[in-house]
Amino acid sequence: MNSPYVLGIRDTESVQKFQQRLDSARQIMVVGNGGIATELVYEIENCSVIWAIKDESINNAFVDAAAGKFFLKKLDERKQENKTLKRMKYTVTENTHAKTDDLGGALGPDWSSNLNMCGNQKIIKKVHVEYKVEVEKILTAEELKAACLQPSTSHLDEQSECECNWPIYVVLSNGKIYGCDFLVSATGVIPNTDVLLQGNSFDLAEDGGIKVNSKMQTNIQNVFSAGDVCTASWEIAEHWFQMRLWTQARQMGAYAAKCMIAEEKKMEIPMDFCFELFAHVTKFFNYKVVLLGKYNAQGLGNNYELLLRVEEDEFVKVVLSNNKLQGAILIGETDLEETFENLILNQMDFFFFIFIPVLTACARGFFLWHIIVTFNFFNNFYFYICLHHICIFSMFLPS
Amino acid sequence: MHENRIKTTANTVCHLICTKMRTYNEELKFLDKVTQRSWRIKKGFVENMNVEGLFYVNDHLEKLMFDELKQSCNNRGFGGFLPAMKQIGNVAALPGIVVKSIGLPDVHSGYGFAIGNMAAFDMDDPKAVVSPGGVGFDINCGVRLLRTNLDEKDVTPIKEQLCQCLFNHIPVGVGSKGIIPMNAQALEEALEMGMDWSLREGYSWAEDKEHCEEYGRMLQADPSKVSSRAKKRGLPQLGTLGAGNHYAEVQVVDEIFDDYAARKMGIDHTGQVCVMIHSGSRGMGHQVATDALVAMEKAMKRDKINVNDRQLACAHINSQEGQDYLKGMAAAANYAWVNRTSMTFLSRQAFAKIFNTTPDDLDMHVIYDVSHNIAKIEQHFVEGKQKTLLVHRKGSTRAFPPHHPLIPVDYQLTGQPVLIGGTMGTCSYVLTGTDQGMEDTFGTTCHGAGRALSRAKSRRNLDYMDVLHALEDQGISIRVASPKLVMEEAPKSYKNVTDVVNTCHDAGISKKAIKLRPIGVIKG
Repeated sequence: MNSPYVLGIRDTESVQKFQQRLDSARQIMVVGNGGIATELVYEIENCSVIWAIKDESINNAFVDAAAGKFFLKKLDERKQENKTLKRMKYTVTENTHAKTDDLGGALGPDWSSNLNMCGNQKIIKKVHVEYKVEVEKILTAEELKAACLQPSTSHLDEQSECECNWPIYVVLSNGKIYGCDFLVSATGVIPNTDVLLQGNSFDLAEDGGIKVNSKMQTNIQNVFSAGDVCTASWEIAEHWFQMRLWTQARQMGAYAAKCMIAEEKKMEIPMDFCFELFAHVTKFFNYKVVLLGKYNAQGLGNNYELLLRVEEDEFVKVVLSNNKLQGAILIGETDLEETFENLILNQMDFFFFIFIPVLTACARGFFLWHIIVTFNFFNNFYFYICLHHICIFSMFLPS
Repeated sequence: MHENRIKTTANTVCHLICTKMRTYNEELKFLDKVTQRSWRIKKGFVENMNVEGLFYVNDHLEKLMFDELKQSCNNRGFGGFLPAMKQIGNVAALPGIVVKSIGLPDVHSGYGFAIGNMAAFDMDDPKAVVSPGGVGFDINCGVRLLRTNLDEKDVTPIKEQLCQCLFNHIPVGVGSKGIIPMNAQALEEALEMGMDWSLREGYSWAEDKEHCEEYGRMLQADPSKVSSRAKKRGLPQLGTLGAGNHYAEVQVVDEIFDDYAARKMGIDHTGQVCVMIHSGSRGMGHQVATDALVAMEKAMKRDKINVNDRQLACAHINSQEGQDYLKGMAAAANYAWVNRTSMTFLSRQAFAKIFNTTPDDLDMHVIYDVSHNIAKIEQHFVEGKQKTLLVHRKGSTRAFPPHHPLIPVDYQLTGQPVLIGGTMGTCSYVLTGTDQGMEDTFGTTCHGAGRALSRAKSRRNLDYMDVLHALEDQGISIRVASPKLVMEEAPKSYKNVTDVVNTCHDAGISKKAIKLRPIGVIKG
């Protein structure tokens, strides 16, 4: 889609272009359901947003449908300024300008922090989400007329008076047509290995990344690889998996540097402990989001239980399998992340610490325990309600 | 396997129904009020009690404790949790315990031992035990207080820059890594040497360790008793604060109760700025405790040690498992001191940078450093005789009186400073140890860091139905018994730090010296 009305968000340069265009925009469409798209939808102000996603729930690349629902309520909330950052801030030192089509620096975790994403129009931001759709085509106003199509309406239309003259109209796969000033594509990345592959014979993984072993070495001697471009091909630890995130790129980079020195000095170094447990901390809709271990029960099949607590400002989901903690999603100021991090790594068997006082006959057997929980941490224990057989559990957490 | 699970569960249920179902009024017969601020738990409250229990409360805390017991009785066990009073009783049933099992005013249910429970075991009794549950998973979690010569008015205008600068220096949150250069060899040395390692490497001032319990180094530490997994977990985390209820706070002196003690600590006016660091041994302590629990479960079968609660896994002090645990625990304790010292170093750097001077010129000395989760060998008088005891303090703080040989010269006349970290955002206190505390509680007082305050906020009507439907859409069937069940809440055990400290003061087991109030919080 090489239309001037389609912007990609992939690096520092494209973000600058986006900013310029937003200045005069009244309504834009964001396509994609990953971290960048989610942040974008939250950050944009004074401009209406139509968010087109291919999944059934928002922010699907990171969290499940339940957490997506939690965020959905926060969509129209105003952005809040948050000045203190809980770590060193990452910024681009050179002041590059988007003049050429060269690739700029990758978007670090703080890409949106110094950007003003305010449109200049006096529009109160509203967000409309279209689920399970893809973009079919983009039409100009003339083309739309020629094709005798009518734009669809959404609740956003109440405030926009000039719905008739958008520069482009986007036709979605569900047949709906929305007019907007431009479209932002933030649909994720694939390992950009092309430039490296010419004339080399790297072993590639199925996802197109360069295979690396536990010392971050490629199959070619003295060539190491780290970050999005590589695929972890060592024996993966039980509670870790690769996800192309800035946190993992940074960890891999640091570890690769150590490995290079160790190789040079003929030293043995152990695999860094960060590859034992998947841990990612980020912010969506100004809520702290902590993802730990197999937070979406990745690779657990049906053999797991979910514990859930949802409150006004907090969302806690815990994945248990074989009575052991496997992963967790924590949204909001739950203060539970260190406890859960340790419990996943301890792999303590909870069965003897879970007391099951009432067992009602259960038609579906014990094999699929899907549990909804409301649990209280005053005393380090949960209260939760099992979905199939209704009972209250309580569980002590070590402290 | 599932069948087994059902059977075990059914057994547990039967056991609870048959043996432990006394009514609330029947339970009350085992409790009596000894003084205005303390209650006695008589033998028989739980099975096999070797000694009596004792807990400290004021009127408000008393109500919380009894409500908790009542709720557990009303639920006829169907709430499943053990109230703190029952846990104190179960500890009193451990082999070799002397005098009594004591609950401090901030006591609340924990793993095995309640948090805020102390118990002493006779080292000369071959049956006496050591229990990892009596120390806690976060070994040597503790609080350190630094003073400065700054005043609130120096800090207020640049508070935000200062906090950002502290965040830049101190790694926080899950997955964060220490910036103090470490390798496997250095970690071994740190585990053995504690703060002597920090001093040698230049991260600590010589005076710092004078103001720490054990001079920042437990001599029985043996890194070879720490599993390689524990070391692997600890290596990247050294010098990181963690998350949850761990924090660093910029605080100002709000009130001085004891002028003399405060001056001895270098605090001379209200408004003076201090820094409090609350952290522990991170994943390393967890792994040491987890490893020990596994080993001790086997040892219990072998040595036929019976306990009331499976969480109270323990071993004879002189058994291989007991000794290994004490050596490993000491190494983890050393790790925690090095950790707090590293963050002291980083805080000093951050302050020096913001105020464009040196930490020396800011007078950033360590006032004191206390341990909350630890077991120590100490000398105490029991019925007039001096005895060597293994004192477990879990969620409680050592508070030695004036003139005790184990407290620093600077505090010989005031008694040991005791640092009580409030929950985030509430006040913190500095207390001093008393002679009465030495007599009544083996020189122990509260620790004060209860649950985070966010737990205490009112729960507004939670609209969980949307979320349920989202799961339903994924093909997960959902049935909710009644909204009332969903809304059911456990008794609130959040205990206000001021209530807790005042109770200790009134009971005479420690004495209030300084009150501090936070102006900036660094946490994950």
